[in-house]
Amino acid sequence: MTATPRARVLPFETKAARAARTRRAKAAAAQEKEDLKRRVEELESKLRAAQRTRRIPEGLAIEMTRLFAAGLSGISWDRVARLLAAAHFAWHSEETDEFGYDPKFTETIRPFLEFMYSVWWRVETTGIERVPSTGPTLVVANHSGVLPWDGPMINVALRHEHPARRHCRMLALDMFALLPFLAPLLSRSGAIRANPENAIRILERGELAGVFPEGVKGVGKAFKNRYKLARFGRGGFVRIALKTGATLIPTAVVGAEEIHPNLAQANFIGRPFGLPYFPLTPTFPWLGLLGTIPFPTKWSIDFGEPLDLSRYPKEAADDPILVNRLSEQVRQQIQTMIDGRLARRRSIWFG
Amino acid sequence: MRDHGMGRIAITGASSFLGERFLRRLIREGRADDIVVIDVAEPSISEGSIRFRKVDLTEPAADQAMLDLLKADGIETVVHMAFFTNPRRDTTNAHELESIGTLAVLAAAAAANVKNFVMRSFTFAYGARGQNPALIREETPLPGHSPLWWLRDKVEAEEHAASFAKRYPEMAVRVLRFAPLLGPNVRTFYSRIFDRRVVPTLLGYDPLLQLLHPDDAEEALMLAVFSPTRGAFNITPRGVVSLSTGIHLSGKVPAPVPHLAAYWAVDALYAGGLVEAPSGFIDYVRYPCVADGARAKRVLDFEARYSSRQALDSYIAYRHPMDAAPEARARALEEDDAEPSRAPVEILR
Repeated sequence: MTATPRARVLPFETKAARAARTRRAKAAAAQEKEDLKRRVEELESKLRAAQRTRRIPEGLAIEMTRLFAAGLSGISWDRVARLLAAAHFAWHSEETDEFGYDPKFTETIRPFLEFMYSVWWRVETTGIERVPSTGPTLVVANHSGVLPWDGPMINVALRHEHPARRHCRMLALDMFALLPFLAPLLSRSGAIRANPENAIRILERGELAGVFPEGVKGVGKAFKNRYKLARFGRGGFVRIALKTGATLIPTAVVGAEEIHPNLAQANFIGRPFGLPYFPLTPTFPWLGLLGTIPFPTKWSIDFGEPLDLSRYPKEAADDPILVNRLSEQVRQQIQTMIDGRLARRRSIWFG
Repeated sequence: MRDHGMGRIAITGASSFLGERFLRRLIREGRADDIVVIDVAEPSISEGSIRFRKVDLTEPAADQAMLDLLKADGIETVVHMAFFTNPRRDTTNAHELESIGTLAVLAAAAAANVKNFVMRSFTFAYGARGQNPALIREETPLPGHSPLWWLRDKVEAEEHAASFAKRYPEMAVRVLRFAPLLGPNVRTFYSRIFDRRVVPTLLGYDPLLQLLHPDDAEEALMLAVFSPTRGAFNITPRGVVSLSTGIHLSGKVPAPVPHLAAYWAVDALYAGGLVEAPSGFIDYVRYPCVADGARAKRVLDFEARYSSRQALDSYIAYRHPMDAAPEARARALEEDDAEPSRAPVEILR
């Protein structure tokens, strides 16, 4: 390799000098190119040799068999890395959308969610035909159950009972969307952090989104307040629907209130960990991790009469009185649906 | 040679990684005569003769010196890239250069009736916060008073630029917020995470990352400098890649650390000089900081050629050819062939 010439910081130079310099530079470049070609050839032969011994990560079973076959002598960082990669990509895809939705991961956990839906809680779904098959749609539901199981269950209901098999992007509360372990779980399964910007982005793409306007007040409500709808935030979901022209589907989930009866709160325990509440249920935290197993109550998910907002102009989103009235109307509708269900319900466990 | 009508161009921070690429590009396009490099040290560029003017932006009289220069050379466009990508231990010096230095450059540019002012910024300037939307738009307010000095200086520089844009409407101020660069020849504090066999991560967190290939960054910079637009632009790659995917694709072993311990441990290690960045940067592998590149696409017509994943692949191919996917390896070899004289360059100075 020839040494590169020193920086020339000259405002002007003579024609002859410039020509000479160009000649020199050309010669140097040609020489350099020759050297580089040689280096590339060298590297390529090295690569070919390396490719013979190394393979791209294969399936989990194959990697594990290889590790076994290699025995103790063959364990290296490289093997460990490949085994871990195979384990990771066995249930994660390599690409996600900009919200972190991972189709392969969703497929992987689907059997478990289906088990919870059809066996554990024996969910009875009505009114699914009221959910439109296309276009921006916002499912508005009551939130309950300490852990947000109602989200995935509504998702399973729409995925399995709806003819269009729509995928519902749940708008998750900050407290869940930022909690370690739950955060990646939620985003990979298609949930997004509840935020007007995110919701509008999803609805403008004509997708289906699910929202729990009660928020923390709903999911963490005390057992004695079960099935009493809390305030519907500040009506943000109505504003979003007005802005995007989305159809609102009021939805009532009954049965989820009893999966973790929140008898008392010990919020001082949760605070250092960034939790807004720390529930004391009959099983949690007394039984440790076992206490996080929800009770097998009987659930029902009722999709109500859609609220068509298309007769309002987009500017209606800036009218707080109208927004609040619509929000209150949806809340009343859901409360009526819940009360009807509760009146017909004989047993918490068998419906 | 295109005539963009941007007049003479003054570049600060031309010895930064992106600055040097920009300079080379201008020389390649035959615009060497229009360039004035303003820096503390001569640029290490051997081809073409370029004008060099020495100004230290951390000195108190830097604005007067800048003003004299801009007037003497008849500058119409200032490209301000004197920023540190890596966090500096000497935070005072970094503050003088980035916040106060930007103020000096802006003041001089406004006084010299410069028509275009282009500033390099970072999507990291939005800060990694829990309340960030999934895709951050340019109008999202930047975090005020972050405990992270690195971030605070960037935000202050942005604020200065925004206030000058308002006060001097005849000067078109453009701010380019680049997603973190990763690719061949990029050596930064975050890229070095991928150099180790074992990559520390946060237990239970897996954020989405945007990684911009240097070729795309250069292209966006060219588009932005030579287009008469105003305002901030996010310069982003196509798509995102999750940290775990990145780690596994590049053949690394993740080592998850509980986040409560991580902040404390990194602070201790930083105080001991064992890591390069203070604990504030942990937020960037905890919370999302993904920017929306829609405005750059709409206004500048910039569309990245590389996805985040390809940028990571190209970095792995450059640093660890034996770990890379075959196609990325082949691409890296080709790139090496195409541009032989590009030396690895640290960011700024």
